Amino acid sequence: MKKKKSISELTLKTITKKQIKPIPKWEFIAKNWTLWAGVVASLIILIIGLGLVIFGVIDDIISPYFWLLIAVIFFGLSYILFQKTKRAYIFAKWQVVVAMVILGLVIGGILFKSGLAKRIDRSMETNIPRYRQMAPMKIATWTNPREGYLSGEIIKIDKNSFEIKDFEGKKWTITGTPLIKGRVSMQIGEEIKIVGSQEGENTFEGTEVRPWTGRGQNMMKENY
Amino acid sequence: MITEKCQNFDDNELVALSRSDSQYFYCLMKRYEEKLTNYVKRFTYLPDEDIDDIVQESFISAYQHLNDCDCKLKFSSWMYRIVHNQAINFMKKNKKAVKIDVENDDEFVDWLVADTDIEKETIIKYFNEYVKTVIEKLKPIYKEVLVLKFFEDKDYQEISDILQKPMGTVATLLSRAKIQFKQIYEKEKKY
Repeated sequence: MKKKKSISELTLKTITKKQIKPIPKWEFIAKNWTLWAGVVASLIILIIGLGLVIFGVIDDIISPYFWLLIAVIFFGLSYILFQKTKRAYIFAKWQVVVAMVILGLVIGGILFKSGLAKRIDRSMETNIPRYRQMAPMKIATWTNPREGYLSGEIIKIDKNSFEIKDFEGKKWTITGTPLIKGRVSMQIGEEIKIVGSQEGENTFEGTEVRPWTGRGQNMMKENY
Repeated sequence: MITEKCQNFDDNELVALSRSDSQYFYCLMKRYEEKLTNYVKRFTYLPDEDIDDIVQESFISAYQHLNDCDCKLKFSSWMYRIVHNQAINFMKKNKKAVKIDVENDDEFVDWLVADTDIEKETIIKYFNEYVKTVIEKLKPIYKEVLVLKFFEDKDYQEISDILQKPMGTVATLLSRAKIQFKQIYEKEKKY
């Protein structure tokens, strides 16, 4: 009787017959690097998101919900991608979650403290057309002339000054030569926000003028 | 004969040699064929042909992934992991539940006795009657850990590498397995 072949013999025969070869090492290296690049990229976006959430909550200038959503999405993505890495299983799930939260809050906090979060927000406003609709400015914050923030609609333009009506209906004369940032055309009827200082009861010296692109419905609900 | 030549090499050296010559992989397969077959048999209860298929597929998969072999682990842990995953996938695909074949092994019986207030004599006497039935009712993951710990003699580190779970979780699973064993045992005793 013919002896039954062992699994090893059968497997070797299959490998030889089908010319099965080990998958090249570079494919595994590329896959591994891509995975880690994904983890790092997601973590960076998570950190930026948390930095801007902190900025939104503490400075109270922008609504933090958009960035909170970004942080939550990229928290989930970082976690999923990390779990796919080779040695992730040696850590308990709660350890990974706690480490990610601490990392995000600490570096996000540094981003906020260093002013980088604010710069990222301004840069997004300038470069991404609909950004301000997603992360709107808070009207209450921008109707605070004593703190140097004013906003409203341009109602008159003179040679050395212009007038606005703020969102509470009060008229202001804006003096100085404010730097215009972003898409501001300085026309009557245009809504803007101004950074500067209050000079008198109805006078405000502007140092910076920006477009008011964040006066959305949500924000109105939030502030009124 | 290649198998004689292989005796001088350890697993990791054979993995390195197998990347360029499949004959060396044959030596690795020979080394693990019986162990892996018994392992799959113990926790699947499948017919021999299915078990052979699972082991063969696992060897082919291991051969294809030789360049991804995590050699920081023991080769045996890596190989057991592949076979374990292959078997679990087979069971899922064929909608079969994990069943395990346990024996009246001293270490296993001592483990069952500790903290359960069940006398050793009782466990031994009724092992084949209802101790086995109780074990069969444990959650699949508990059964898998039990097989690796008591019947494949793997330590916590190896079980962690095979099941891809943290070592603390492996300890927790074993401890929960015993709690569940006690609960089911008490319940069965009533009837």
